Amino acid sequence: MKNELEQSFVELLEKHQNIIHKVCRLYTNNYHAHNDLFQEITIQLWKAYPKFRGDSKFSTWMYRVGLNTAITLYRKSKRTISTQDFEGVAFKMTSEVYDDTEEQQLKILYKAVHQLNDIEKALVFLYLEDKDYREISETMGISEVNARVKMNRIKNKLRTILNP
Amino acid sequence: MDGLDLLKKNWNKEQESDKLSAKDILPMLHKKSSSIVKLLFYISVGELFFWIIVNSIPYFTSDSYKERLDQIYSDNAMIILSVFSYAVIILFIYLLYKSYKSISVTDNARRLMKSIINTRKIIKYYVLYNLIMAGISMIIALYYSFHNDPDAVKLLEEIDGKGMMILIVASTFFTAILIVIIWLFYKLIYGLLLKRLNRNYKELKKLEI
Repeated sequence: MKNELEQSFVELLEKHQNIIHKVCRLYTNNYHAHNDLFQEITIQLWKAYPKFRGDSKFSTWMYRVGLNTAITLYRKSKRTISTQDFEGVAFKMTSEVYDDTEEQQLKILYKAVHQLNDIEKALVFLYLEDKDYREISETMGISEVNARVKMNRIKNKLRTILNP
Repeated sequence: MDGLDLLKKNWNKEQESDKLSAKDILPMLHKKSSSIVKLLFYISVGELFFWIIVNSIPYFTSDSYKERLDQIYSDNAMIILSVFSYAVIILFIYLLYKSYKSISVTDNARRLMKSIINTRKIIKYYVLYNLIMAGISMIIALYYSFHNDPDAVKLLEEIDGKGMMILIVASTFFTAILIVIIWLFYKLIYGLLLKRLNRNYKELKKLEI
């Protein structure tokens, strides 16, 4: 029974793992920290899985647990001190973009997003995931209006970081 | 193009180097969590036991203390007091358990942070309660010994005004140092542990103003 549960969980996670990777990409900046956070999110998801009723989508449920782990539960381990910078690795995914300037811009953008605080990163994450403000407000526990105001401020902030 | 739009365009691209297989994921399920809730739980249990042990060590180690305690415990007031203190410990264990149960990773971010902070508060009150009780029992013990212990009464008679001053200043000084040490200790443990959480909670609360 337990094995079946494990099996179904692992299958779902394997399919949706990119969500966790995206959280890790926002909140960590090196390979070890990325793996560390990935593991902690997986543990938290697995612990919460028996209570997952399927009334929300598995992916939606993952956003919540993933973000909560990154913002609240996760303790940076000592390993994260080794600062093998992630930059090079994190942007390999842009290799399909042949436009040099676009790739360059993307790099700067990621750097700018890394400078935001944890809450701002969470809002950016949900925005990038194409969530509407109702869902953003429900996930974060703030009102829709405030989520919208904050998001606009973050956009401005990013603009200033990009064009000082 | 707005900066975030550019990011959005590239956001869902998967990175092959990240991709894990089911084989990689499965062992992760059995790894131990290193979340702050888990650590908070261990520290709370540690504190609970620490104070229970502190309160009962003298009873097991010193025969004369044991005798004296037995003598005291024959008193009805003392029995009521000890029943009360055990009731308080049980109450704290219950509150702590309930509070830990209410921490849910699937809550919204704000509620999750709040329930962790509340849990932390319960253990803080428990420690505070113990410190206050320790202070009160010290005062009572001093009062008792200066009234009933012949050696202490004699000492009190011999001491002059200046000596009394020194005694008061010295005991105040040592009490203050002890409080500062305990305070620093807690600042260190919880300060380090919950620094990020507190900062994020404040940030979220700021959004609600």
